[in-house]
Amino acid sequence: MTTAAPALAALDDPFEQARYTTWRQDAEGARVATSHFQLSGLVCAACAGLIEEALMHEAGVRGASVNYASRRASVRWDPALTRPSRLIAAVDTAGYGAAPDWAEPARALRQREQRAALWRLFVAAFCMMQVMMYAAPAYVAAPGEIAPDLLRLLRWASWLLCLPVLLFSAGPMFRDAWHGLRRGRIGMDLPVVIGLLVAFGASSVATFAPGSGGEVYFDTVAMFVCLLLIARFVALRAGHRVAATLDDALAQQPSTVERLGADGASATVALREVRIGDLLRVRAGEAFAVDGPIVDGQTRVDEALLTGESRPLARAAGDQALAGSLNLDAPVTQRAERLGADTRRDGVIALMRDALTQRPPLLAAADRFAAPFLWGVLLLAAGAGAVWSIIDPPRALWVAVSVLIVTCPCALSLAAPSALLAAAGKLARHGVLVRRLGALEALAGIDRIVFDKTGTLTEDRLTLAAVHLLDPTLDAAVLHAAASALAAHSTHPLARTLAASSAPQGRWTHVVEQAGRGIQGEAPDGCVWRLGALAWVAPTLAPTLDAALWFGWGGRAAVAFSFDESPRADAQSALAALRQAGVEVALLSGDAPERVARIATQLAIADAQGGATPEHKLERIAAAQREAHRVAMVGDGLNDAPVIARADVSFAFAHGSALTQSSADFILLGARVGDVVVAHTIAKRALRVLRQNLGWAALYNLVCVPLALAGLFPPWAAGLGMALSSMGVLLNALRI
Amino acid sequence: MDILFLLVPMSVLLVFGLLALFHWALSDGQFDDLEREGERIFAADSSKLDAHQTPP
Repeated sequence: MTTAAPALAALDDPFEQARYTTWRQDAEGARVATSHFQLSGLVCAACAGLIEEALMHEAGVRGASVNYASRRASVRWDPALTRPSRLIAAVDTAGYGAAPDWAEPARALRQREQRAALWRLFVAAFCMMQVMMYAAPAYVAAPGEIAPDLLRLLRWASWLLCLPVLLFSAGPMFRDAWHGLRRGRIGMDLPVVIGLLVAFGASSVATFAPGSGGEVYFDTVAMFVCLLLIARFVALRAGHRVAATLDDALAQQPSTVERLGADGASATVALREVRIGDLLRVRAGEAFAVDGPIVDGQTRVDEALLTGESRPLARAAGDQALAGSLNLDAPVTQRAERLGADTRRDGVIALMRDALTQRPPLLAAADRFAAPFLWGVLLLAAGAGAVWSIIDPPRALWVAVSVLIVTCPCALSLAAPSALLAAAGKLARHGVLVRRLGALEALAGIDRIVFDKTGTLTEDRLTLAAVHLLDPTLDAAVLHAAASALAAHSTHPLARTLAASSAPQGRWTHVVEQAGRGIQGEAPDGCVWRLGALAWVAPTLAPTLDAALWFGWGGRAAVAFSFDESPRADAQSALAALRQAGVEVALLSGDAPERVARIATQLAIADAQGGATPEHKLERIAAAQREAHRVAMVGDGLNDAPVIARADVSFAFAHGSALTQSSADFILLGARVGDVVVAHTIAKRALRVLRQNLGWAALYNLVCVPLALAGLFPPWAAGLGMALSSMGVLLNALRI
Repeated sequence: MDILFLLVPMSVLLVFGLLALFHWALSDGQFDDLEREGERIFAADSSKLDAHQTPP
């Protein structure tokens, strides 16, 4: 049907299919497949309906549902009548793109997990409401006002509705506690589970042995489970959101690409068949599959997932396009330069996975204290129960239950990780990856920040510094415009800088570019002009100027252009913000002292030093640390590894594929110095929230445990306090 | 008050019935995608106007 057929046919392979398709039997016993696709090219919600319609018209499609927000489709189809490749072709014909959704199994798992959690929560909440109803008469009636038979009926009903709460909703807690016990460890759930069992057991005895005359606590049990599940549901959703971000980054890569042959014909091939140097065509609305320069066309791209830059960025021939970024405007041709694991996108994903799975040292320390703490709780509860059974036997039981519930260290255990993870998530959205969660703590406390110069405070690329007119009979502005027009034919970095520095004027024909030398073209008057290295433009001229590009004709240079590096656009404001935050700024570079001094003057940095060797840099940082300064280092992350290791905190700008080799604590994905300021601000806020959380959790326990021991805190209040303190800690962390 | 001896057991049964109903809705995926129905109005073939409504 299309040129795509051979590559798409690979998707019909049973093994490939299994990665994005599930099978089910329908009512007549026939096998029906459900496949999941990632869509591209959708511009509004109405597109979803058009794609559904296109799919439904395909023979053998039983049902199709398209989600506009997540850009995903799930299609039920009959294997006897159609194949996945035909479904993709149908979407293609409708004017959109579709690719198998490999991330579907992970998402389905999350969805199952969320459904299960919601179901447990609903059972607990619904039964709790009804149990409360049954409990209410006993609270409001005067003793003896309710007939004993009726009271017993209400208790039986409460008992019956409490069963699903305890056996089903609280099931995971019992399971975790049991697993912990079997491995000889005492987990967080154990005090909770013991509290629930004691309360439920005592209430059951009171219900079915009427002579015993005990109280019932079914309402307390149900409410406690419900509140605990609400807190856990919130935590689950927060975790899923982070995982979904990662999945989105993973999903934004096509599995097939359009490769241009030497004769200009295009063929769709699987991504794994692409080799370095291949020319790939990327249509508007599609994602780039590899890293590499654009060789033809002009467009805007969305790199939000890779660099945190939310605005679309203009990209023309010669500019790098990154795998995983989205082509927004027009079709372009890209040359493959880095593939697969070498791409920037794969580096980012590997880093994010790393950061999300590690446990910061703060938490590891907390784990060590968990077991003694929990033993203390159990002993305290048992002791309180024993003492009260002497003072006032009927109250002994609920005092013990209150102590067990009130000390549930949920808030304490959530305090640090919730704050640190929220900060890391927020930074990731700003284009700053946190490699070491513990570094956030150190970053909040820095008072000196040392910048490297090249590629850190200054742009990676050069800017035009001066135009030197060599032939006084000609006009510099006219020559500049003509040279710009000629330079526009080249993709060399200097030529591109020159082309952008002035409005190009004039038409050049017979343009020839010679690698390593320059570019030449014929002016309308027939003269052949050359733009490039001095030895090529004017071999006889002695190099008296420090210029990089020369422009002239007939072996004579008419004009020369010199280039220099310039500070990043936001360097000035970022440094000002850092100084305002009380952080001293210093510049320490291995570059020539006069160039370092020039940049330092431009940016008003008093403490600047050039010509520094790595040993020298190391010594400078160590000296500052001896004076009790806490030093952050911002470098390129590759050449100054020992310095970065020595500094208290380190930042590195991400340069291409070298992302994962960098040893810095924070990776700056965007080309913005301001991100350092953002990271510093967020780290300070995260540490403040973390302290608030820890303080709040500790205060809560300090106040409530004595109250519970004194018998002034009924179990329902303990459950409410416990749940509220956990929610408070989580919500506080979300403020970051 | 004797009616309570009938109503309380009935309410227990009602709770189990409603739980079953919610379970069916949940497992049917009704809570998985809450935006979709809201976006349906943008779809090209959205349902026709009711008899008493007039197109703008």
